[in-house]
Amino acid sequence: MLATNDAARSQNLARLTVESFTLSSDTARPQVDVPFHLIVTLHVRERVLEIDNLELPILAELELLGDERQTSAGPHGTLYRETITVAAHRTGTLTIAPATLQAIDARDGKPKQWYTNALRLQVGGVSREILRNDEHAALAVVGAVLRALLWAAGIACIAAIAVLVFRRRKPPLPLPVQAAAPQPLQAPRSRRDQLQDALTVLRADPTRAAAVRVRSAIWRMVGATDGETLGDVLHRPEASDARMRSLLIALERGAFTYDDDLDAAIRDACSALERSLGNL
Amino acid sequence: MIVARQPADLRAALAQTIVGQEGVIEALLLALLSNGHILLEGPPGLAKTLSCRSLAAALDGEFKRIQFTPDLLPSDIVGTRVFDQRESAFATVLGPIFANVVLADEINRAPAKVQSALLEAMQERQVTIGPQTYPLPDPFVVMATMNPLDSEGTYALPIAQMVRFLMKVNVGYPTRDEELRILDRFAIADTQPLRAVATLDDVRAWRKQAHDVHIDEKLKRYIVDLVAISRQADRVTVPTENGTPMRVSELIDYGASPRATLALAYLARARALLEGRDFALPDDVRAVAAHALRHRIGFNYRLTTEGVSMDGAIAALIAAIPAP
Repeated sequence: MLATNDAARSQNLARLTVESFTLSSDTARPQVDVPFHLIVTLHVRERVLEIDNLELPILAELELLGDERQTSAGPHGTLYRETITVAAHRTGTLTIAPATLQAIDARDGKPKQWYTNALRLQVGGVSREILRNDEHAALAVVGAVLRALLWAAGIACIAAIAVLVFRRRKPPLPLPVQAAAPQPLQAPRSRRDQLQDALTVLRADPTRAAAVRVRSAIWRMVGATDGETLGDVLHRPEASDARMRSLLIALERGAFTYDDDLDAAIRDACSALERSLGNL
Repeated sequence: MIVARQPADLRAALAQTIVGQEGVIEALLLALLSNGHILLEGPPGLAKTLSCRSLAAALDGEFKRIQFTPDLLPSDIVGTRVFDQRESAFATVLGPIFANVVLADEINRAPAKVQSALLEAMQERQVTIGPQTYPLPDPFVVMATMNPLDSEGTYALPIAQMVRFLMKVNVGYPTRDEELRILDRFAIADTQPLRAVATLDDVRAWRKQAHDVHIDEKLKRYIVDLVAISRQADRVTVPTENGTPMRVSELIDYGASPRATLALAYLARARALLEGRDFALPDDVRAVAAHALRHRIGFNYRLTTEGVSMDGAIAALIAAIPAP
């Protein structure tokens, strides 16, 4: 958890008592090209209708397939659960950065930032692309799908049993998947990793929403908060480098330009990201 | 001679004549691009008149200056009908308001009916003299000045009339370096305003471009929030003279109207164009917010008794809304 001093920002933050804030996956070994779920679970003591200022990590190496949010308030507080459906297209180790939440800590009245745990997953299997040229591709895909279905059925059964058992014990409020105290600040990712993540996201998802999200991520990287303007950010010493300045300006264009200019703006932002990466 | 193709070129040309006062130059251009009028408040001798005269010269437009005095009549501004004995008929003599750039100097020195005549013309962009209605030239920009120091013998502009101005700009003293440059430029060298660096057609084209500048939905919400906070400023505080924080809502009788929302959008678009963009940014909105809100918020007497500056209170309101 990290205390922040931005008074202007804190005036818009909710006052929350965070009981647990976790990031989990429905599988520790996802298969390549097979959708799986990442689950962000937040339990707060207050009854609230919605959770603001919760930032998901940039899922640079994953394809985003869906995002479902559920907020249930009960006598023991509010349980927020966001289920993100993703698919990996490469095998190997996959590291997912923590999600963050900014709120006023109701315990001491100070604005703080909470972090979930990070996730490290081992993606297995064979890529669909590779299988396409293989004479056994069809069989392998069928096998993968069957395996995925078996996994999904197994997980569903386990989840159903767990829910039934849990409901018998504590009817009003389900426990979070990985109930734990708010996690301490994780070791920060390197600047190169963050820039690479941003580039991957923009290339994979060249939309306004992705541009806005990447803008936020790069702003945080240079120590700025979302409530500032580009002018404020450009005055920061972390943004004194010419390449970084041009990147920040390009991302601002991506976030605010008109629709017809969006593709060009995102291409410009990608070029600026590449230049920044080349500079490191 | 500089050939202006973009509004920024006109700004550069004006900066060659006027030392410092970049904020005033930018404000004049924003008013011009937004098809609005501007109220300049500042002590005498801060190049307010020179700025307006230079702008008119740079545009190759007609410039008129009206010195407002207590004995001024509405007909001295808009014009009148006089009897022509040779023709045995009434002829209309158009007043000084028929110009592209009109400087209304010390507008608060004339009585309310004269102020009203000017402000109505500003709003309607036409003047009726006798039975005939005359359209004012296009572009038509009124730049009015007020001196905050000599309040004796003045007629304060009511807010209902003040809001006819798109923006109100406080003109401050130059820095030491700027004052040295003023010495060099005007006391030693003989500097003349640059003439005809842009045309009135250029201005009309720029206005069209400014109108087409894109404002994103996030930015629209930001603009609305900035205006709305002036009506519900309970959660915003500002330090008083003795350092204790005070709620800004206690200093405000009434907040800005939706006209301020429109003004903010117009000015943000104009600033984006001035910066060479065809889309507006949060920086554009924030840069013009104080100019658009300053004369539209009804502050009460406690502003003075608590020793809070108006601009300080407005800055607190602006800072309370995080930019998108």
